[in-house]
Amino acid sequence: MAEAEKFSVVGHRVTRVEGYEKVTGEARYVGDLQLPGMLIGRILRSPYPHARILNIDTSKAEKLRGVKAVVTAEDTVKRPWGAFFADQYPLSVGKVRYVGEEVAAVAALDPDVAEEALNLIEVEYEELPAVFDAEEAMQEGAPLVHEGKARNIAMTIDVERGSVERAFAESDVIVEDTFESIPQWHCAIETIGSVADYAPNGKYTIHMNTQTLFSARMRVAAALGVRETDVRIIQAAVGGGFGGKSCDDNNPIVAAILARKARKPVKVINSREEEFLAGSRPRVNMKTWIRMGFKKDGQIRAKHLRIIADNGAYSGKAPAITGVAALRHDTCYKYSDVKTQAYLVYTNKIPTGAFRGFGNPSAEWAVEQAIDEAAHELGIDPLEIARVNAVEPGYVSPHGNRVTSCELKQCIDMAEKMMDWKQKRAAKKPKTGLGLACTVHVSGKRHFGDYDGSSATIKINEDGKALILSGEGEVGQGAATALCQIAAEELGIPMEDVEFSQADTDLTTFCLGAFGSRLTYVAGNAVKDAAAKAKQQILEMASEMLEASPDDLMVEGGKVYVKGAEAKAVTVADVARARLFRRSGAPIVASGSFDADSVLPDETRYGNESGAYNFACQAAEVEVDTETGQVKVLKYVAASDCGTVINPIGAEGQVEGSVAQGLGYALIEGLRMEEGRPINPNFSDYRLPSMRDMPALAHAFAKSYEPTGPFGAKGLGELGMDPTAAVISNAIFDAVGVRVRTLPITPEKVLKALTEKGKS
Amino acid sequence: MKKHVVLNVNGEEHDIEIEPNRLLLHALRDDIGLTGTKEGCSIGVCGACSVTVDGRLVSSCLTLAIACQGKEITTIEGLAKDGRLHPLQQAFLEYGGFQCGICTPGQIMAAKALLDGNPNPSEEEVKEWMSGNLCRCTGYYKILESVMAVVQNKVRTEDLLPRERIEARIQSLDVYKAEARTHGSKSHG
Ligand code: FES
Ligand code: FES
Repeated sequence: MAEAEKFSVVGHRVTRVEGYEKVTGEARYVGDLQLPGMLIGRILRSPYPHARILNIDTSKAEKLRGVKAVVTAEDTVKRPWGAFFADQYPLSVGKVRYVGEEVAAVAALDPDVAEEALNLIEVEYEELPAVFDAEEAMQEGAPLVHEGKARNIAMTIDVERGSVERAFAESDVIVEDTFESIPQWHCAIETIGSVADYAPNGKYTIHMNTQTLFSARMRVAAALGVRETDVRIIQAAVGGGFGGKSCDDNNPIVAAILARKARKPVKVINSREEEFLAGSRPRVNMKTWIRMGFKKDGQIRAKHLRIIADNGAYSGKAPAITGVAALRHDTCYKYSDVKTQAYLVYTNKIPTGAFRGFGNPSAEWAVEQAIDEAAHELGIDPLEIARVNAVEPGYVSPHGNRVTSCELKQCIDMAEKMMDWKQKRAAKKPKTGLGLACTVHVSGKRHFGDYDGSSATIKINEDGKALILSGEGEVGQGAATALCQIAAEELGIPMEDVEFSQADTDLTTFCLGAFGSRLTYVAGNAVKDAAAKAKQQILEMASEMLEASPDDLMVEGGKVYVKGAEAKAVTVADVARARLFRRSGAPIVASGSFDADSVLPDETRYGNESGAYNFACQAAEVEVDTETGQVKVLKYVAASDCGTVINPIGAEGQVEGSVAQGLGYALIEGLRMEEGRPINPNFSDYRLPSMRDMPALAHAFAKSYEPTGPFGAKGLGELGMDPTAAVISNAIFDAVGVRVRTLPITPEKVLKALTEKGKS
Repeated sequence: MKKHVVLNVNGEEHDIEIEPNRLLLHALRDDIGLTGTKEGCSIGVCGACSVTVDGRLVSSCLTLAIACQGKEITTIEGLAKDGRLHPLQQAFLEYGGFQCGICTPGQIMAAKALLDGNPNPSEEEVKEWMSGNLCRCTGYYKILESVMAVVQNKVRTEDLLPRERIEARIQSLDVYKAEARTHGSKSHG
């Protein structure tokens, strides 16, 4: 591959920096941690979707032998917290708003005693009328989840660019449809958990499996009513995040409250059922009405969206997610006249939140199907309609997103080739069909303060090894390895000589963490900057030692050479020691930072949200069994533009894992609820794809270079799951002429659609 | 009432006092301190807690510890020999058969149980067998590739863990050998 030739570390197939720990079972996850005197915490959860708490009696639980602390809202500052809207409490204050909400908690010597103590807590509830459907919740007279939130609307978006009325009038074909997604759970194989400790000096130390340490610190501190630095968050190995571990739930806060009351370390690990009830915040469910207008050649002329998004009982990140669903797709294709109305609505269900794709998969489920419908109506190959509309470098979306690098057209070409699209279309077999969809994603997103940046510190130790101090963390996706590659490449030292620190809010500078496909791009740029500055210090010292100008020096393989006189060399270790061990000596250490060239959207939601955009085209070939409704994916292809691929093993893994989650979303996943009560909160009833479910997959990465990225790289982590559900549905339509408009596309729904089609 | 139980794990005997209903998973993790075996679903579906008992693959979240007395239990910690990775561990490392790593001990134990019984499974057989082990990160492609790499003898060398490399270097130092002689302890070759 071209990159591997240009670079000595970047672009190479590098094994994980934490690989030995993981393959030997010695990596330490939060559930593996033990502290002296550590207690086990368990949480009492609401059995009601909506109820007033009249009284809580904890006296019996407190008397149970082995119980060291029982806490309720009375042990908290009763201060609401939340990523965007402060609307949830660590422990319910006065009211519960969904089944699973945290009402009280205990810390005890062992799990059995803790469980027994939960049974001894007496809570008197007065049940209140509840509302479970977002559309119903918007009706006048519906029960209010939060007092003062009229019609349960948490947020409204109403944006029009250009004139859709005029644009529809100018359209040759108009399609109109309604689609509904499904709440999907992250189902990381490791549940959320924390070990909290409260020191005599008043400092909380929380070991947790969060993706976003500093946001966690901010929110935990706010909920506890203390200063940020009174809380230290240390990231344990994280057993999968996908957005679900971005600290929008109460687990670490409850652990901290228990630790404070017990004056002992407390471990609180969610059971699998708790994870479904109140742990990782599931994908925001959306009902989307869409109307699109096209010219005869397939060009998109107008789009009007109306989205009703289910917030659940509290907001978390759903406001930002709804914003993405409403506007992001307008950076994938060339749009001029668009209108979006979106409503984020409270219901008495688990709060929804960030899941890989962040609003994109639910929106594309609708938009990419509407475009497919238009293609069929116009008699145009769906691949050609994508090609006609695909954005190119220099495009500015109607909402102000500025596209720098973009190889979407190349991705479409690659998908076409990998799928043998033309040949297969020409020789179409009955009950077999092809479908495709495209997507755009960000590389980091400006929505926390006016900051979309990162910082990192690199120190060169006396033995020549570099340590990256970064608070971005590693959640399993391979960020640490990619960031080490970037540092090694910039410094000119071997990969084995770069280490990545454990993320720890006390030891590293502020970092936003893993979300928004931002680490390779945003954190990568900060690490590269720190490395360049550290290298400058190396060169300056080496120039004294080698008696040559810094400009005439180069660092390669851990040695500093005089260009053209390679025999004259010192090692980086020699340089580090020489700089340190002398009068007025100093270590080689440098901090770097980066802030993306994006802006906070204005009040009309206009503004470039990210420093770089990544693109993909995916296609599927499916076979539909018209007797059973079973859909078999025969082949899947994914072509991605993520700029320079830093680590092909990692990049392929991101796409493969995304496609698997996307196929799960399309075909089998989703929690079913009755009256706000989950009926399948376990892994035997909530099915995940397994190895035998995975189709043949081909993938490719576009030849692409992002000028603002580290060595040309941009984001990738979420791209692969954005379009998948629409791809499958489009392929099913091509195969048998029916479209299932609600996720997941189960055999029953396919059969029903086939029967209805047969009737008409 | 707690009972005295002796468990043979990775060739070593462990004396523990446990309730008769103690699950093997918790005995391994909490009583013996071998935390490589993970808990993902607690109901025998995800495979994160996979270990072998007398060579048979079991979900330790469904197995009583007491029932494993007198049997040979193998966990992920027992795979590397003398600090050298098992070929499956090496393959997972080289082919990217893991991301977050939480399912990895279970995946590797499941693959080991398969290959110990059938060193030459077809790709289809591997897929069928490994479908009892869920992974939310990888989409399984690189797990399959890792297992097939071992089946097809593509794994050439097994890494000596860095700590064992350092250990070997320390032990080769003269002063260490001299010390060992003075104390008349067993050879540290
Ligand atoms: S924890 Fe035992 S199978 Fe999932
Ligand atoms: S590697 Fe994360 S669950 Fe398998």
